[in-house]
Amino acid sequence: MFILLPIFLMLLTALTLMLLRFVRPKFKYPWMVAVGGATLALIGIFLWHIRLPQSISLAPWQPVTLFFFSPTWLADGISWPYALSLAALAAAVIWTSVVRAENDPAAWSGTLLLTALGILAVAAENPLTLILVWSSIDLTELITMLRSTEGEEQNQGVVIAFAARVAGTGLVLWANLVSTAGGILMNFRATPASAGTYLLIAAGLRLGVLPLHLPYLKENVLRRGFGTSLRLVSAAASLSLLARIPTNALKSSLLPYLLILAAVAALYAGWMWLRASDEILGRPFWVLGMASLSVAASLRGNPTGSIGWGVMLILGGGLLFLFSARQRSTIWLPLLGLWGLSALPFSPTASVWQTGNQNSWLFVIPFLPAQGLLMAGFIRHAFHPGETSLESQERWTKVLYPTGLFLLAAIAILLGLWGWDGARSLGEWWAAIIANVLTAGFTALALTVLVRLVPASSSNRWTRIFRLERVYHTLTALYDFFRRIANIITSSLEGEGGLLWSLLLLALILSVLSTRGR
Amino acid sequence: MSAPFLWIFLPLTLAGFLMLLRNQKVIALIACIFTLILTLAAWLLPLDTAITIGNMSFKLSSSFEILGRHLILGSADRSLLALIYGSAIVWFAVAPAVKTARRLTSLGLAITALLVAALAVEPFLYAALLIETAVLLSIPLLSAPGQRPGNGLIRFLIFQTLAMPFILFSGWLLAGIEANPGDLGLVQQAAILIGLGFSFLLAVFPFYSWIPLLTEESSPYTVGFILWMFPTVTIFFGLGFLDHYTWLRDAPALGTVLTTVGVLMVVSGGLLAAFQQHLGRIMGYAVIIETGFSILTLSLRGTVGLNIFFMLFIPRTLSLVVWALALTILKEHSPTLILSDIRGLVRIWPFATSGLVLANLALAGMPLLAGFPPHQAIWEGLASTSLSVVIWVLLGNLGLFFSAIRVMLAFSAAPEGAPWESRETAAQRILFAISFLALLLLGLFPQWVLPLWTKLPAIFTHLGQ
Repeated sequence: MFILLPIFLMLLTALTLMLLRFVRPKFKYPWMVAVGGATLALIGIFLWHIRLPQSISLAPWQPVTLFFFSPTWLADGISWPYALSLAALAAAVIWTSVVRAENDPAAWSGTLLLTALGILAVAAENPLTLILVWSSIDLTELITMLRSTEGEEQNQGVVIAFAARVAGTGLVLWANLVSTAGGILMNFRATPASAGTYLLIAAGLRLGVLPLHLPYLKENVLRRGFGTSLRLVSAAASLSLLARIPTNALKSSLLPYLLILAAVAALYAGWMWLRASDEILGRPFWVLGMASLSVAASLRGNPTGSIGWGVMLILGGGLLFLFSARQRSTIWLPLLGLWGLSALPFSPTASVWQTGNQNSWLFVIPFLPAQGLLMAGFIRHAFHPGETSLESQERWTKVLYPTGLFLLAAIAILLGLWGWDGARSLGEWWAAIIANVLTAGFTALALTVLVRLVPASSSNRWTRIFRLERVYHTLTALYDFFRRIANIITSSLEGEGGLLWSLLLLALILSVLSTRGR
Repeated sequence: MSAPFLWIFLPLTLAGFLMLLRNQKVIALIACIFTLILTLAAWLLPLDTAITIGNMSFKLSSSFEILGRHLILGSADRSLLALIYGSAIVWFAVAPAVKTARRLTSLGLAITALLVAALAVEPFLYAALLIETAVLLSIPLLSAPGQRPGNGLIRFLIFQTLAMPFILFSGWLLAGIEANPGDLGLVQQAAILIGLGFSFLLAVFPFYSWIPLLTEESSPYTVGFILWMFPTVTIFFGLGFLDHYTWLRDAPALGTVLTTVGVLMVVSGGLLAAFQQHLGRIMGYAVIIETGFSILTLSLRGTVGLNIFFMLFIPRTLSLVVWALALTILKEHSPTLILSDIRGLVRIWPFATSGLVLANLALAGMPLLAGFPPHQAIWEGLASTSLSVVIWVLLGNLGLFFSAIRVMLAFSAAPEGAPWESRETAAQRILFAISFLALLLLGLFPQWVLPLWTKLPAIFTHLGQ
């Protein structure tokens, strides 16, 4: 029952906020309601730890002869760190909103609703539950983005992003069918080797990593608060699948190639993140880069490592994206987040460089500079002046705002020590040292050379290549070719001689079938 | 009183009466109340059993004789009647929102009654005549008054009429087979004739060219009703054949034939849907795909296939109603339904455009929506026998999904700064809101509608075992 408690609290708070907005528009304390609900939900996630694992199911789908699974949620060592990170992010978004101009209860309500869905996704016990929650997140994101995006090109990007994510969902369905064909009912405990790779590609596709694609680069008006939740919750919902794929289900000759694709995505995203004008404009690259590292960890048979990258995508990203009001005395807050990213012993990412399958450790090499680029970008963006100064804020704001940010940093430290089986790890310390040395080098480069370069543009050549524009053009040409064929078929069948064509086709089909029957 | 009188002759009479009325809302109200009574009667009243209310006692007999033929509606048929008339209520209730109540409810009620009669008539070959009468009644429903009928309508009439001689001939041959079951030549001829008859009736590939033509040229809501009603009743009619004739049911080639036909319909429908420019035509291809799925469920032998077949019924009805409603609203206010003419409409008609896309996605089998549970059951059922068949079927689903994405791209292509508004009427908004909720709830809790169809397999004494 503890599983649903935080979700119930979030939904109840979201509903209350919306009701208050309509019934008592002049209500003075919606922030108090929002922060109360979010904080209680965070405490509710801590309560999961009283009994792990535990699960809860909805009424089974019937008839049971057709449906072998029903929507079920599981609180365990994988879902807990993700759920905790998401709840902390929601709480931090609302706590820190005191310094931003976003005082719309609808945005807080949206954050809580989205986070509740995110927690339902990371706690999904079986593929059926996961795809149902994924779809609800996809539809929510589609509606929200279409409502807030302007211009044909931007709207097109929103729809294409939706299509790519649904295609990822489709791959999970396909993995399930492959498993069924092999006589195995797929769940996250029993995944045949034939299906594991599809699950991984599904997560990669949803995250934009496999193959690398960036449907929309420009960040829209949903910037710091709700925008951060939208981006990070959506990513976390897909990342949790990576940790659920059993290591023995990832045995495919494709793995080295997938690792190469993930490395390309990680390096490209890391470079673009480092070069972005500010953290909000670079946010899609942060998500892509961290997700690539998480996918790579999973490909190397290290699901714990994928959790490490996943939670730091949420906590580190949240910390930086919400760090809008700055002053010298609060710079230690993002630096705590940097600790979480460092892969040094006892950090949440300590175990990320371990390899759990037959893949050569050499595959780690291209990802080390990617980590360095992401960390260097993190430092660069943390030292920007920010949107506002915290010094000019009211006194109570100066207390509440850093508290909200500290919450994320504290959860990151906590997860490094207590997050999952295998936390408090020394990890591959040599890899961490190399990555940190690279970080120092890239930071120096960023502060000396990059400041003189024009910031990365969303329309440069590499971006166009990685947006797969060539591929889209080729696909469009192919589509036009097939459309002409389809037009010939339909105009023949629907034209004057349509009936004769139909009979001829029938005769052909029957003759082919009778030949096959003999 | 007899059951055929209650569920066939009474609706026919009322349909005639409704044609005399003018007020859309009154017509829809009367039709809905009457159909609701028929649905509840089918749900609650036992047949061939004395029912006592106070001092009154009456019995609904299951048989009715007319001109030496019998119309038989047995106890097992009650759930089917409840489902058919129950679904008709949805179509009739929504009709005033798009101002089609006058023609749709009166003619629709008559068509429903005639098709129920086709399922009830003995000997069955007279069903062909009743279906043909229903087809003829559809003509005034589908053609706009004062306008020349289009190609789609003429072709609909031709293809449905072509089915009649094949069904009649097969009936004649089947009588011969019963007298001489060992005559394999006769069996083969009868099978071919039945196959051809149902190919025309069900608009099986390649005889479905009238569907996209009709959805392009006629009122989407009335076409939606016709495309829901005819395939539904025809498949029930076909199931009756399968259930009745052992030689047909046990034919070794039956599974292959049904799978091939189903796959052909799903794949061709899906691929052609992906390339369409007209919104109405996409709905037409979606109906073709759905018929293909129904046929595919029959290829999954045993009660599993039959259960999935009935499970498809409610999500399909709901999706089609929403799709047809949305199309009718957009058609009224847009110069054409071609993709280039509907760009950016999401900002003006948010409910209608969302309804259209959701219905499309639901029929494409998108998770969370009503169509997903039965589609998933079909995919899994097929996967356990042949993964290659599933690949083809998924290709069809992908085609329909792709068409939804293209429609979304067109709807969302609004120029920068275009304001958001909602031009739908309050009634339309309420109807869409209810249907969105229903589409989502049925996708999450498919077991909620289980009581509505769980007794249906029992109609077929052999197939339902």
